Amino acid sequence: MMKIVNEPVKVMAVFHTDGKIEPVKFRIEDKVVRIERIMKTYEENIVGNKRIVFVCLHNGKDIFELKYELDTKTWYLFKK
Amino acid sequence: MGQIIMHIDVNSAFLSWTAAYEKQMGIERDIRTLPAVIGGNEQSRHGIVLAKSIPAKKFNIQTGMSLMEARRLCPNLLVIPPDYDVYVRASKALRDHLKRYTPDVEVFSIDECFLRFTDISRKEALDLAYKLKDGVKERFGYTINVGISENKLLAKQAGDLEKPDKCHTMFIEEIEEKLWPLPVEELFMVGRRTKVKLNRWGIYTIGELANADYKLISAMLKSHGRLIYNYAWGRDASTFKEGVPMKSVGNSSTLKFDVEDREIAHLVLLSLTEMTAWRLREANMNCRVVSISIKDKDFGFKIKQRKLMYFTDSTRDIYINACCLFDELWDKRPIRALGVHVSDLEFAKIKQINFFQDELSLKNEILDKAIDKIRSKYGDTSVIRGAFANGDLRPILGGYPDDEYPGMRSIL
Repeated sequence: MMKIVNEPVKVMAVFHTDGKIEPVKFRIEDKVVRIERIMKTYEENIVGNKRIVFVCLHNGKDIFELKYELDTKTWYLFKK
Repeated sequence: MGQIIMHIDVNSAFLSWTAAYEKQMGIERDIRTLPAVIGGNEQSRHGIVLAKSIPAKKFNIQTGMSLMEARRLCPNLLVIPPDYDVYVRASKALRDHLKRYTPDVEVFSIDECFLRFTDISRKEALDLAYKLKDGVKERFGYTINVGISENKLLAKQAGDLEKPDKCHTMFIEEIEEKLWPLPVEELFMVGRRTKVKLNRWGIYTIGELANADYKLISAMLKSHGRLIYNYAWGRDASTFKEGVPMKSVGNSSTLKFDVEDREIAHLVLLSLTEMTAWRLREANMNCRVVSISIKDKDFGFKIKQRKLMYFTDSTRDIYINACCLFDELWDKRPIRALGVHVSDLEFAKIKQINFFQDELSLKNEILDKAIDKIRSKYGDTSVIRGAFANGDLRPILGGYPDDEYPGMRSIL
């Protein structure tokens, strides 16, 4: 069962030359979580607020959902 | 084949947008399924219902009613403050989305717009309307109503038929069946006051208005009567206005207390003018028409405007004219809200030197620009007029650009 958090987090990400964004790791409660694999990515545009969603895998079983909000240029940990 | 006009209306816009936004933010309630309203701040007397959810509607809560009244009808009502940034962004995103279907998009208000399609059959139009409606729901997370007809008036009436998340047609041959049985106040431009008059003459439905004696309506209600009579027949000669640049600038505000004397009202007008004239100069425009609006404590609403001899962007000139208008218009009833608007705009690039403008006015234009620079550098209230020193009134009043998205408009 995943829990909705929606909190801003510190993220290290690679911005590729073709415009693709790839989060590598993020920090939560002084713990660093490495992203093993990005399982799925898509864009949402609810009421005109654009966010890029990354569904990420950690430790082979834990799933996290990160969102990058374009207007505010902020990363959110949405679900864990 | 011919012209099709569609009217797009966001279902309880402010509430839907807030709900969709809350969902995106991970808040787990859905205010659309609770008795909830979007309401202004009660301390500063902006405490009215701006939008309501469908469960709230079941308690008989109406848009525009005071929050106190609404709470009496539903004691555990959820009141959520409005967030205009979200709304402006949502409205803009919707408009951009609609522009992918047709370049002819006319913005009517923050949550309503008209689309025009040419060379499209009625069947195609209906299919397209469903596609539009479902597309918006999937993409942005809220529902809209689509009204389809040949002119703007009927499209708007169609959009208001049954909500939410519906598409309706109202072509001219359907009015007898779809428009005429409705109560007369459902017709566009029939307000509270006209309703009372019409009811007095035994006119309760739109059909009764359409079949009433034209001469009587024309004689009693003058040009407004002729307009609504034609509307009742689905006749609307308005043109489609797409992508019009700024046509007017203005600010209005509900006041913290009812104003009963002329001096204070003038001060309020000054603070509104400060904002309006500043925005006018920001847009690099000059205006030639100044208008003011007064809403009294019983919600009676009056507007008066005047045309100047010259184009101006000076706070002083606009203020002086606003005061003259106010003195002519005010009937000494306590004032609840005031507004200052300027229109007939022209770009400030070239300016005709004018015979009627006095020297002081020219000097003031230069002074205004200097003050604007100081305010943008050191803050809005770094320079204020002496009249506002040590007083309770705010030196600059109005912020949310209410003319960019008029809440209520009477011209189709």
